Amino acid sequence: MNEPQSAAVDALEPWPDTVAWRPVSPKLITVELIVRIAWSLVLVAGLAVGWALQGHWLWRLGILLVVVNAIWRSFVTVRAVRAWGYAERDQDLLVRHGLLVRRLSIVPYARMQFVDVTAGPLERAFGLATVQLHTAAAASDARIPGLPPAEASRLRDRLTALGEDRAEGL
Amino acid sequence: MTTPGPHPPGPPATGLPAAGPDVPTAHGDPPAPGSAAAPPANGEEPRRRLHPLSPLLHGAKSIAVIVAALSWQTLSQVGLERFALVVLVLAVGVVVFSIVGWLTTGYQVVGRELRISDGVIWRRNRAIPLERLQAVELRRPLLAQLTGLAELRLEVIGGGKTEAPLSFLTVREASTLRERLLALAGHTAGGRAGAAAQPAADGPAAAFEAPAVERPLLRVGNRDLVVSQLLTPQAFFLPIGVAFVVMQFVLEGSWTFIGIASTVTAMAGVLLQPVRRVLQDWDFRLARDPDGRLVVRFGLLETRSQIVPLNRVQAVGATWPLLWRAQGWLHLRLDIAGYAGEPGSGENKRSDRLLPVGDFATARALVWDVLPGVDLATLATSPPPKRARWLNPVSLRYIGVGLTPEVFVSRWGLFTREMHIVPYARLQSVRVVQGPVQRLLGLATVYADTARGRSGRAKDRDLAEAWVLARELAERARQARQPAPLTTDRLDPSAVAVPAAGSGAVNGAVSGPMDGAVNGPMDGAANGPMDGTVNGPMDSAVNGPMDGAVDDSYWRRPEQT
Repeated sequence: MNEPQSAAVDALEPWPDTVAWRPVSPKLITVELIVRIAWSLVLVAGLAVGWALQGHWLWRLGILLVVVNAIWRSFVTVRAVRAWGYAERDQDLLVRHGLLVRRLSIVPYARMQFVDVTAGPLERAFGLATVQLHTAAAASDARIPGLPPAEASRLRDRLTALGEDRAEGL
Repeated sequence: MTTPGPHPPGPPATGLPAAGPDVPTAHGDPPAPGSAAAPPANGEEPRRRLHPLSPLLHGAKSIAVIVAALSWQTLSQVGLERFALVVLVLAVGVVVFSIVGWLTTGYQVVGRELRISDGVIWRRNRAIPLERLQAVELRRPLLAQLTGLAELRLEVIGGGKTEAPLSFLTVREASTLRERLLALAGHTAGGRAGAAAQPAADGPAAAFEAPAVERPLLRVGNRDLVVSQLLTPQAFFLPIGVAFVVMQFVLEGSWTFIGIASTVTAMAGVLLQPVRRVLQDWDFRLARDPDGRLVVRFGLLETRSQIVPLNRVQAVGATWPLLWRAQGWLHLRLDIAGYAGEPGSGENKRSDRLLPVGDFATARALVWDVLPGVDLATLATSPPPKRARWLNPVSLRYIGVGLTPEVFVSRWGLFTREMHIVPYARLQSVRVVQGPVQRLLGLATVYADTARGRSGRAKDRDLAEAWVLARELAERARQARQPAPLTTDRLDPSAVAVPAAGSGAVNGAVSGPMDGAVNGPMDGAANGPMDGTVNGPMDSAVNGPMDGAVDDSYWRRPEQT
């Protein structure tokens, strides 16, 4: 009987001794914050127009709520990005993410159908990319955002190579 | 080729001559590395057409759809003659369109690929690699039965709908082609390429002898089928629904033919599902063909016969509906990747039945046949810890998961009890998800994803147990994928075996250097606290309190063969 039970019982840290988690780039925080702020500004602007035209106090309440929500979510974003992690093991790729709902995916390389590397305009501006591994199961969820392009293409190449190596289809 | 229909000059410039039976597709010849090995006669096979009657059958189908779309309302508005005229014009248009479609549709087998070209305005030329073939179904709708034709549907992975239905061929042609495609699909390139080419050379004769040596497995009695469908909620609601409608008419006093017809049409969609089920599953027969594949035949108005190679079975599901419990009946479902219709949509069109209705003994024998080594009677599951009651106040007793040497079993459901059996070899990925409430309670849910979309689900397990479960699933899936040698690149000896919280006495029985076997007391089980019988050198066996379990296969490692 081994002892690490108490250590292992953490939703984000399974098998701490065998799995070396790698974080995603902290620049992803900036990207996410910019997106969030942009959305909040749009919302606030819309509400402000409503307030200017009508002057009801509900509009002000709306603006206040949007701002508070944006600030709150920004704090969450910082932690959420830090919670993203992935690990390459011999046979499978592990991806974990989520704060409120915590998720861990274990996807064997052998089951890989294809790999996506995507980068939106904002992500490109910050030198980030997203790698997603697809299997035949729609539910499989192995998406890793916020990777530097070099790391993204390394991961893609490695996944493809491993996938070819151990491919077994279905 | 002079086609009467609209033929835009642009798109068809893919180099595809409109039809021309023996013109090889100029578009995509080079691929198919396997075709190099094929004999030249096979490689240069002419492109074939569908049966000449198919445009008419297609047209008939479309006309029915059109009439339904125009509905009774239109009929009442425009009068019968005009209605007939509109239908006639549309019918002629549809038939002409179908004929053009027929002229441009063709298929051919090139090496280990089936190539199908079709489309009138948007030409499409697709190659289906046969090693990706999941199952082949031969369908004969009513009209096709009258004319001796059949539709061949190939199930491949990817895409929401059945790819490439070849409709229609003569029955003989269709079954020959099916045999051939399955033969090509079944053999790996190096293995029996010669044998694969054989049926092609022998032609219909060889293919037609095959069904003679089929081994019948079971036949579902039509009486049972009808009774089982009477025992559904819909059947119980049917009289109520009818009474409701009649009441409405009586109260409103508007007895127009149109009104009644519309209401009946609307009701039929919802309430007549049992009837459709009966028609669909009529005369359900199962057999094994000489190559060990599963042959399923059913249907009254539309007969279907599908052949499923056993290694394409992704999962098996069993359902015990509440109303069937008095009879002890259950329903078995076969999950195959690529079947049209995701869960929920198109319930009727799906053909994934393994057993529409049957008693437990039948189902047990059948499961044993489909998933060798899996005995439905001894699939022990263990429930989640007691504190999961907060999340499942009523149904906690009926939730459970179990690991047997071959499969991952999960079951749930208070009224309709369900069981989902996933062979390790078919696992696509494993997920652990923990929601906020689960985090408070220290629980997590483990999903075992298969290619069909339904996942095996271990709901609300103790977190530590969930980790062990996830690791164990991943590990077993890996070994099931590569049955060859037991490699030594194992994980660290950190094989964590944690008692399911809430289970009392923990007696660790350690037999291997890295073993941790924890056994809780089993309530209602035959053999009391089990001694951790462990086979592999790296086992972690955790047994929570087992609920009415009869064997100790939970958590046991698969036998290395």
